[in-house]
Amino acid sequence: MISLESAQNDSFVLLQLAEQRFALPAGLVAELAPPVRLHSFPHTSPHISGVIVRRGRILPVYDAARALSGKSSFAHRFYLVARRQFGETSEMTAIPVDGECELVTSDFRAPANDAASYISGEITAAGESIGILDIESLIQSHSQPTGPTEARQ
Amino acid sequence: MKIAAQDAQRPRHLRAAETAILFTVSRQLFAIAADTVQEIRSTDSIAGSASEFACPEVPKVSHTFERARRQYYVVSGCAHFGLRVSRPTLVLILRQLRVAVLVDRIDRMTELHGIFDLPLAFGGNERRWYRGLTYLDDHVIPVVNPRGFLTAEEFHRIEGVPQAAEVTHQVEGAASQ
Repeated sequence: MISLESAQNDSFVLLQLAEQRFALPAGLVAELAPPVRLHSFPHTSPHISGVIVRRGRILPVYDAARALSGKSSFAHRFYLVARRQFGETSEMTAIPVDGECELVTSDFRAPANDAASYISGEITAAGESIGILDIESLIQSHSQPTGPTEARQ
Repeated sequence: MKIAAQDAQRPRHLRAAETAILFTVSRQLFAIAADTVQEIRSTDSIAGSASEFACPEVPKVSHTFERARRQYYVVSGCAHFGLRVSRPTLVLILRQLRVAVLVDRIDRMTELHGIFDLPLAFGGNERRWYRGLTYLDDHVIPVVNPRGFLTAEEFHRIEGVPQAAEVTHQVEGAASQ
């Protein structure tokens, strides 16, 4: 688990989703949690795979890899716990990530013209250009309600 | 920065422990407040008094039965929650609602001390289906909202459907003219 207590405004967490690297502003990230048990129950919200219990709270699990690639990653090793905003209320959401996450400091750049709608900017880390993931845009672009999701235990 | 501490998602502690019935539908565990259930009957025991019912707009209602001069609508728990079809053996007859729910079995009765609000990330029909979530014996269990089984709109639709007996009567009446 990484602690982000000292993260600065130009700090980003690099994560691996659907075989792509993305960056998230460190200010949105609370922690990297171990792969605890996923609890599922029937619902109709797209790309929500269930909930986890973390520090006495129930956190929804948003399957960002599935939203990006159409398939879930069953090899995820951690949950990245990040803040989502619902009007004036914020809520923590757990995002399954495939590999190690890394805290980096980098300058923000505007996104390329042909960047996907859910990329809000770019940073450079180890010589690589990495898109900054806008979770809200990603969710909105995949927000069509689905049929009931059968519970998985 | 301690983001987790700012998160308001905490369980609502109930003023008094709430007795709940844990039941399963298609192997999924649910909880319902015991005081919202009037009676639990076997499906066999109501089979004789139940009539088949068909409303294409509300296919989860398959039967009706009359009880104390009130017509009850039987909702399939599997169809309601979109679960794989199973073989229900019990009917939960709800209190103050003319709704009975087909379930597979009763797991047990227990006491709930707190209910978590459903996370805001859940934005679909589940906001109507559930009062919230509870955490019991290392399981997260949805606490169903009894009024979610049939909405006012669904009631309006099914109340407009003639009963099988009425249809038969109308057909017979038409034939005799």
